[in-house]
Amino acid sequence: MRSYVLAMVVAVVALGALATCNDSSSDRSVTRVAEPDDVIDQDLMVALAQAKNFHHKAKVYITDGNFTDAIAAVRQILSLRFPTGAPEAEDVRNDARALLAKLLVGQKELDEAMRTVDEGIAQSTRESFFVANLYTVQGEIYQARADKVEAEGQKPQAQELRRSAIGAYDKSIKINDTLQKKLMEER
Amino acid sequence: MATDDDFLSSPVPDPDAAATPSERARAKTFADLVDKTLAGRTPPAMSADDRALLEVATVIRAASGNAELAPGKQRSLVEDALRQAIGGPAASMPGVTPIERGRRRWLPWAIAGGTSVIAAAAVLLLWLRSAPHDATPQPDVARTPETWRSRPTDPLIGPIAREHAGDASSRIDYIFADRMDGYRDRRLTRGGKR
Repeated sequence: MRSYVLAMVVAVVALGALATCNDSSSDRSVTRVAEPDDVIDQDLMVALAQAKNFHHKAKVYITDGNFTDAIAAVRQILSLRFPTGAPEAEDVRNDARALLAKLLVGQKELDEAMRTVDEGIAQSTRESFFVANLYTVQGEIYQARADKVEAEGQKPQAQELRRSAIGAYDKSIKINDTLQKKLMEER
Repeated sequence: MATDDDFLSSPVPDPDAAATPSERARAKTFADLVDKTLAGRTPPAMSADDRALLEVATVIRAASGNAELAPGKQRSLVEDALRQAIGGPAASMPGVTPIERGRRRWLPWAIAGGTSVIAAAAVLLLWLRSAPHDATPQPDVARTPETWRSRPTDPLIGPIAREHAGDASSRIDYIFADRMDGYRDRRLTRGGKR
């Protein structure tokens, strides 16, 4: 009886090994085309469409002179959920930050505008024309701060802020130049 | 009156009639013959009628379930079975198959062994066949068009001039339209797959 049980166990193990091997080979279908993970999918298109709608909404508010709601609409773009690792997400968010900062500058909220730009620069994983644009807006914020402190009679501080503005513009120009050269080489 | 030799051919007597002395003697003789047969001492010669009657009596006794082996034979069979159970040699009992010989111990092991060999051969074959495929890269991934991929939008947008720093609305329109082209193209090419 014991020999029967042992023999059956051996047979079952052998058949199990065969079945496992067969399963692993059948997973790979010859008709299935492998697809990379970074293709444009529905999730990305939905996120881009929502960003587009919020921008249009903000544009309408700006046209009406309703900057508070325009700022709120642009902020919503920053909380949109994009597919993980999608490069478009970083570009769209940085562009929204640039617009948001400019709107905040228009509302004399210079500190908040600078914080918005600084966060965008810090969170960026690569240099892009959008990061360069953030530096451009940063330069404008420095300029606005300089004008403000100069009006308050703090001329040396204003000069320092203007130097910071020039530094931000230089960074923007440098990034743009580097990227343009890189793109030209790739073509 | 019927004699001993022709009682089978004589007329059937009245059931209520008393047995005649010859009938009693005949019955006793037959009873002795049956007893001898059951004791294993069957007479070598007997009449054809007696042999027929004896066979009928034996069949009737066996059918009634009273047939038993002789005590000596019973003891011999039990001891032989016990001896085989503890691994001893089988006694030379004619017509009895030893327990060890009755089992086919090699059969399940032969089935298990055969199955294992077949499974091992199949695994080896599959491994040998799949090895070259694993070594080659997936060309389909490399052939995926650039426009189908999620990618930076720098080549699409280009440098952003300072006077257009806040024109994010027009840029998102452009980005969305471009990615929609790639998405549609991929879906139509691949038969509607996401």
